[in-house]
Amino acid sequence: MMRAGSRLRQIGWALALAICLTLFLALTFRVNAVKSDVRLAEREIIALEREKLLLETEFETRANQQQLANLNRIEFGYQAPKANQYLEGERQLASLGTPRRADAPDPIRVARAPVPNDKGLFPMMVSPLTGEPVAGEGIEDAAPVEESEGRQELSAPRSLAQRLAISNPLEGPIAEVSE
Amino acid sequence: MTALAVSTTISHGRATLSGTRQRMLDDARLRVLWVALIFALVAAVATLRIGYLGLSDQVATSTSLEDALLPPRGELTDRNGVPLARAFPAYALWYNPKALGDPDNPLVKSPREVAQELKIIFPALNVENAAEKLAAGRPGYLMRRVLPEDANRVMAIGELSLELPRETDRHYPQGSMAAHILGYVDREGQGRVGMEQVLNDQLTDPAVRNTPSALSIDMRVQGALEDELGRGMLATNAMGAAGVILDVDTGEIMALASLPEFDPNKVEAEDLLQSEEMRQRGEVPTSFNRVTNQVYELGSTFKPLTVAAAIDAGTIRDFGRTYDASTVKVGRFSIKDSHFIGDNLNVAETLIHSSNTTTARIADELGSEKLRRTMIDLGMNERPYIELPARGHPIWPGEKWPRLRNMTVGYGHGIAVTPLHLASAYAAMVNGGVWRPATLHKLGAGEAPKGRRVFKASTSSRMRQLLRMIAIYGTGKNADAPGFRVGGKTGSAEKPGGGGYRRTSLVSTFAAAFPMDKPRYVVIAMLDEPKGTTASSFQRTAAWNAAPIVGNLIPRIGPILGVRPDETRDIDISDLKPLIGGEQ
Repeated sequence: MMRAGSRLRQIGWALALAICLTLFLALTFRVNAVKSDVRLAEREIIALEREKLLLETEFETRANQQQLANLNRIEFGYQAPKANQYLEGERQLASLGTPRRADAPDPIRVARAPVPNDKGLFPMMVSPLTGEPVAGEGIEDAAPVEESEGRQELSAPRSLAQRLAISNPLEGPIAEVSE
Repeated sequence: MTALAVSTTISHGRATLSGTRQRMLDDARLRVLWVALIFALVAAVATLRIGYLGLSDQVATSTSLEDALLPPRGELTDRNGVPLARAFPAYALWYNPKALGDPDNPLVKSPREVAQELKIIFPALNVENAAEKLAAGRPGYLMRRVLPEDANRVMAIGELSLELPRETDRHYPQGSMAAHILGYVDREGQGRVGMEQVLNDQLTDPAVRNTPSALSIDMRVQGALEDELGRGMLATNAMGAAGVILDVDTGEIMALASLPEFDPNKVEAEDLLQSEEMRQRGEVPTSFNRVTNQVYELGSTFKPLTVAAAIDAGTIRDFGRTYDASTVKVGRFSIKDSHFIGDNLNVAETLIHSSNTTTARIADELGSEKLRRTMIDLGMNERPYIELPARGHPIWPGEKWPRLRNMTVGYGHGIAVTPLHLASAYAAMVNGGVWRPATLHKLGAGEAPKGRRVFKASTSSRMRQLLRMIAIYGTGKNADAPGFRVGGKTGSAEKPGGGGYRRTSLVSTFAAAFPMDKPRYVVIAMLDEPKGTTASSFQRTAAWNAAPIVGNLIPRIGPILGVRPDETRDIDISDLKPLIGGEQ
């Protein structure tokens, strides 16, 4: 009886060992499979990063400063903003308004229920490079030349020669001076 | 007997047969065994290999993510992080006619068919040119930069001779912009000319090249400076132009341009070497930096420095005092003004009308030792302080200045310095009197060098008033951008040559600072040999060409640099205004 029990126990141990070994093997195989997946993903990341770098550089090249300056000057006729186009602050902005006349109708006020997570009529502007929303001040930074008063006249069709002749680089309030 | 014999023969024969059969069977079994053994061995090896692959971690040795993404050469950016030079691994399309092993037919299809297939992938490709290149059978590039997905499509054409080697490409996205600051990378991968050469070790060091190196320049300001200078240069038909914008409090260079430029993406031999014809025409190669390497006599722009030295030394105390404006005679030389300004001029009028005679008298009264000391303090006797390798040595008058030399240096002749020297000197003159070396590295808050004091703070504030007055009433009127409180001085110096000065070739400079009530930036614009054209009203002097360039430039760069135009603000000049009675 003792012998039979001991034999059964031996078989049991062997079985347990075999199961453990199988499980260990299976687990190791699984771990390495995941590792190789990670490696594949890494390789893909590297390829994508490189492609991103290449495309980003191409974007920068096509939108280079000289190109933009030429577009702004020749195509759109933009000029640097003048002193009177700047405002000191809210106070100066408010001073531009005129007081309401006594007989003017009351301003129309529209009720609106607040909507949670409302992004407004337009979603945020997204950077073409990073894909992240661009903050308001970023947009201002990116535009070195702003619209000038001369915008309306340029809406009228003009020939390229006329547009090129708009500004003489040396023009300005030319004063009669001598050295 | 016979039968027995026969029978014996048969039985013997049977026995032999069965023996043979047995042998053959054994052979066959042995062979099967061998085959089975070999199969078993192969299976065992395969199982072991699978086990090894499954269990071992070290099978596929791939480079780590960081190593793979580490750029082959560090990136250069402007002060806001905009990339100005970057290296990336790219594919190129290389034609190798030997790849197929048949020298007569390097391609499977006809060259024209291949060119047309390439055209589908690269719409910008010229089919005729490409077909000609393929038919010629010479190895060469068909495309320099190819996207990975396009590279796959090229592989799908199935031509062995179309190779796609991986190349490290140094690319300057802004093209020729800031070429003199950036420099370029030669075929050995070494930086040349600009910051590529200066930062070569840092850009190639694997430990630090992952972080981009930020330069002090602002890409937008640099673009505006080059744009305005380039247009001014074309309008006046000038030989070259130079410009620099300097932060007066830190010495950081916001923009630095020398025209004509070269394209660092495509450096040609004539960009680097001066040919015999260029030497005869007096031209320099485009890689030559006019701002830091070329020295010029910068003429009247030195007059404010002389006046500042005289105010500092105490020889000018009374601004109402007038100086004799008649011709100065020293030995057989005489110093004259270009036109009659007045019999007697005070200091303000001297600067506003740019009088040589009265400036010479002010310098004479100051004395050569004091003027020389000031010039040394402003760094005029040594190469300019900047990181760039190309730095020109000034033509310095030496130890003992005779009386005449002292007078000529007073109005910017007999001393030749680079435009950068002038920019640093003007920065010291308007920032409260402290001279600081110019730098192309971006400085953080509080990192500005201490500098050395050249002028008293009171002298500096006086000079701000005087410079502003030149721009309001004098030769700098054309640079007075409304609302930006510009102050500055013109200078038109004749170029030396042929044993004297050539009256026909000028160097016209405008040195300015803005806003004058709290100076932030110095702007220098210089034109080399401008001609009188319709655009410049047939004038060649700085008031007509260099000053309008600055006048157009400042409204473009001011808002970017944080200076808002304001017509309600200005520096107080009410105490000096009565001195120029007839001017208002």
